Amino acid sequence: MMKTDVIIIGGGSTGCGIARDLAIRGISHCLIEKGDFASGATGACHGLLHSGGRYAVNDPEAAAECISENMILRKIGQKCVERTDGLFVRLPGDSKNFRDKFLKSCEAIGIETDILSPSRAIDLVPTLNPSIEEAIKVPDCSIDPFRLCMLNITTSKNRGGRILIHHRVTEIVREHGECVGVKVREELTGREMEIQGKLVINATGAWGDRTASMAGGSVPMTLSKGSLVVTNHRLTNMVINRLRPSSDGDIIVPNEAVCLAGTTSMSVDDPDTIDVESHEVDLVATEAEQMIPSFASTRIIRTYAGVRPLLKADTSDGRAISRGFKIIDHGNGMFSIMGGKLTTYRLMAEKMCDKVVEVFGLKKRCRTAEIPLEGQEQLSGYPLSKRLKELKDIVCECELVTRDAVERAVNDVGARHIGDIQHRTRLGMGPCQGGFCTYRALGIMQESGRMTPEESKRILKTFLQRRFKGIRPALWGDQLREEQLVESIYLGILGMEGRE
Amino acid sequence: MSGTYDVVIIGGGMSGLMAAIPLAEKGRSVAVISKGDPVCCLSTGCVDLCSKGDDPIGGIESFPDHHPYRLVGVEKVKESFDIFQKIMIETGLPYIGDCHANRKILTPFGTSKTTCLVPKTMKSASCDPDEYIHVISFNGLKDFYPSYITSGHVNSGCSIFDAGVSSTSAIAERFEEEDFLQEFVSWLANLALPEGKIAFPAVLGIRSAMAIFNAITEYLGRDIFEIPTIPPSIPGERLFSSLKNLFLEKGGSLYWGKEIASVEKLNGRIEAVTLSNRGRSTRVQGTLFILATGSFVSGGLYASMDDVRETVFNLETYLPGERENWFNEDFFIPGHTIEKAGIRVDSTLRPLDSEFSNLFVCGSILAFTEVMKYGCGHGTAIATGVAAANICEELL
Repeated sequence: MMKTDVIIIGGGSTGCGIARDLAIRGISHCLIEKGDFASGATGACHGLLHSGGRYAVNDPEAAAECISENMILRKIGQKCVERTDGLFVRLPGDSKNFRDKFLKSCEAIGIETDILSPSRAIDLVPTLNPSIEEAIKVPDCSIDPFRLCMLNITTSKNRGGRILIHHRVTEIVREHGECVGVKVREELTGREMEIQGKLVINATGAWGDRTASMAGGSVPMTLSKGSLVVTNHRLTNMVINRLRPSSDGDIIVPNEAVCLAGTTSMSVDDPDTIDVESHEVDLVATEAEQMIPSFASTRIIRTYAGVRPLLKADTSDGRAISRGFKIIDHGNGMFSIMGGKLTTYRLMAEKMCDKVVEVFGLKKRCRTAEIPLEGQEQLSGYPLSKRLKELKDIVCECELVTRDAVERAVNDVGARHIGDIQHRTRLGMGPCQGGFCTYRALGIMQESGRMTPEESKRILKTFLQRRFKGIRPALWGDQLREEQLVESIYLGILGMEGRE
Repeated sequence: MSGTYDVVIIGGGMSGLMAAIPLAEKGRSVAVISKGDPVCCLSTGCVDLCSKGDDPIGGIESFPDHHPYRLVGVEKVKESFDIFQKIMIETGLPYIGDCHANRKILTPFGTSKTTCLVPKTMKSASCDPDEYIHVISFNGLKDFYPSYITSGHVNSGCSIFDAGVSSTSAIAERFEEEDFLQEFVSWLANLALPEGKIAFPAVLGIRSAMAIFNAITEYLGRDIFEIPTIPPSIPGERLFSSLKNLFLEKGGSLYWGKEIASVEKLNGRIEAVTLSNRGRSTRVQGTLFILATGSFVSGGLYASMDDVRETVFNLETYLPGERENWFNEDFFIPGHTIEKAGIRVDSTLRPLDSEFSNLFVCGSILAFTEVMKYGCGHGTAIATGVAAANICEELL
C-alpha cells in the first residue's frame, strides 16, 4: 500500500499548484485526478491571466489578489504566460460613470492603467471597432492553463511527488471518523489501489461537494456554466475587454494561433452534463462583434463550456458572486479548497499549504512565488520563429506540431489518450480541430506499441464524437465546409460509418 | 481574353466536366470557368452510385421523387454511367465495375468502403478475410498506418520502403521517375513475399498511373491494388486531371483560377459573366449556362448563421429548417439535414422560381442530393452532368 503525508484530489490548477508547493516545502504527497490535468474548469476557461481590472469595481479583494499574482506568474512562468496586455474598450452608450469608477478602483488597488484615445488604441489593435470612445490599457496576459499545470507537476515529480492521472477516487477511507486514506481505481484497467495519507485535500472544483460528501462533509457551492468559442486565427494581439459591468461575451483573449471569446453565465446542477447551446454561441459572437467587427465574418472552429465552482452566496446571479476562495476544514482530516480563479491558483495553493504545515506543526514557508517553474528550459516558448527552426515531418499543420514532438509525448509521458498529446503539444487545437492530425497522432501512438491498433481506433471514434459535439453549435460558414470535409474523410474515405 | 460560347459551364469539378465533355465532343463551343481544383481532388476517386445496399441502380428506385436521380430518370442514370466509363477508357484511366453491383474496397483504416466504379488500380481491392495481403508503406508517410489494416487481417504482412520523401504527393511524383520505379520494383521482388495480393497506399504515380500499375503487376506477376488515402488524394487528382485534359483535347476552353465578378442579364436570360481579374476584365458570353459549382465544401453554397446562399447568381435555395437542426448529434450516422440544402430544379434541370430561362443546374448543388446519406458522391455529378449536356444539346 502506498503511504504519503498529503493526498490531493483534483488535477486542476489548484491541485497541481498544491502539489508543487508541497514538493518545494518537502512534504510528501500524492495527487489523484480522474481525467487528465486541467480537464475541468482550468482547461475550459479563457486562458486569461487577469490584471484584476475585470473585478476592480465590484470585487476589489479578488482584484487585488489578481494583480499581485499576475505580477508573480509573469515572472515565474515565462513560457506559459504571454505578456499581451489588455484593453478595456468603451463603446458609444457605455456608462461614463462606470468608467470613472473603474479608473478610481484600479488606482486604489494598484492596477496600472493608461487611457488611450481611439486612434492610439486602434494603432495597437487594428481590428478594433473604429467607433470606440476610448480604451484603457491594463496589464492583462494570456496564459496556457495546460502548460501551467504540467509545469507545476514537473516540480512535484522532480521531488518525489506521486501523480496518478486517469485514476478515480472511489472511497475516502475513515477510521473513527478521521480520514486516513483513499481507494482509487485506474480508469483504463479498472485496477484498484489504496493510498494512506495523514491529510486529504479536496481540490475538485465543481465536483467539490460530491467529493466532500464521500467523507461526510459538504461544500456549499453555486455552479455556473460559462460557454466560450474559439476563432480560427488571432484577431487581436491584446486581451480585449468591454468597459462595463461584467456581462455575457465581453472578453476576447488571444491564445497562440487562435482567439477565445466568451463567456456566458448560466447556473447548472451537474458539472458532468453541460452542453453549449446555439443561442449562447450567437450571443457571444454578437457581443464580440461589438468590440471587433470582423468577428462576424470570422470562422468559429469550436465551442466549449466549463463550470465555475463559485462559493455559495445569497444571490443567484453568478456574475455577482465573489471570485474569492475559501478553505474549509471539515474537522476530520479533510480540507476543501473552493472558489478562486486560475489567476490566483498559486495563492490558493500557498494558503492551503500554510494550513498543512500548521496541522503538521512544521515551520516551512512558501517559496513558490520566488522560484521559476521548473521544466521551462525544454519548452519552445511562444515566438514562432523559434519553433520554425526545428520543423520536420509536421503532423499537425495548424499548430506546427512535428512527429518528433508527438513521439516525445508518447515516450516521456507514456501518453495513452489523445488528450495527453493535445495538452502537451497543442496538437489538434488549431483551425481543423484535430480533423486531420488526430488520425496521424493515433497512428504514431499505435506504431510505438503503446496501444493496440484496436485501442487507437476506439479512441479516435470517441474523440471524433466529442469534437463534433463541441463544433456542432457553431456550424455555419467556412467551419461548416471544414466539417463536411472531415465527415467525408472519416465516414467516406476511412469507412468509419455506423454505431459500434 | 474574352469569348462567346454555345455553353458556358461554371464549375470545373465532376459535374461540370461531365457536362462539358459530351458537348465538346458534339462540336459545341464550350467554356468551363473554375476558381480552382475541385473537391474531386479530395475524394477517393471512386464513383458511388448508391452505397446503401448491394444493387445500386435498384437502390435508387426507392429514392424520394425529388432526388436528382429521380428527376433524371433511372434509365438515364444508367446511360450516364456507360458514358462515363467510355470517357475514362478514352482518357487512359479505365474504371471497373457496373451499376448493378456494388463492390467493397479496403480503406487505410482496415474497414471496407462500399462503392460502385473504381479506377483499375483498385480492381483487386475487395479482400476476403482470410486471403493473404501484403501491405507496402513508405518511411514517414503520415497519412497511412499499415497496422490498422494488418491488425484486423489475420493473414497479412507489411514492408516499408524509404522513398526519401514522406507526403503522398511527393511519393507519387517520385514514381514518375523511371529510375525510382526500377529501384522500387527490384526492392519489391527481392522481398520474396508469400503468395497473395500486394496493397499500396494510392501513390503509384500521378500522370502515368496506369503504366506504372501495369509495370509493377507484370514484373511481380500477381494482383496488386491501391488504397485511397486521406486528402490530398492522388486517385481523386488523377480522375480530375484526366477529365480536364480530355475536355481540352476536344477543343474546350478553360478559364482557370477565375471567380465571377458580375452577371449580365438581358430579357430574362443570362447574357454573359465577367470574371474577376487583376487589371483587365474578361467577359464570357454564352447562349446557355450551366451552374455546377458544387455544395458547401466547394463553395457553390454558403451557409450564414441562419440562411443558405447560392454564391454565383444568388438563386433561391432550399433551406432545411433552423440552424439548430442542420446537424444530427451523432457524428457517425451520416445524413445530416443540411445535406438537403441546395437549388430545386424541374425535370429539365432549370431552377424553380428563377428569372433566367437559359440556366441549368447540375451536381451536388442540387437540393436533396444528400451525398453522405445515400452514398451517391460523383454518381449524382455524372448523372446530372450528362443530363445537363443532353438538355443543352437538344436546345442548341
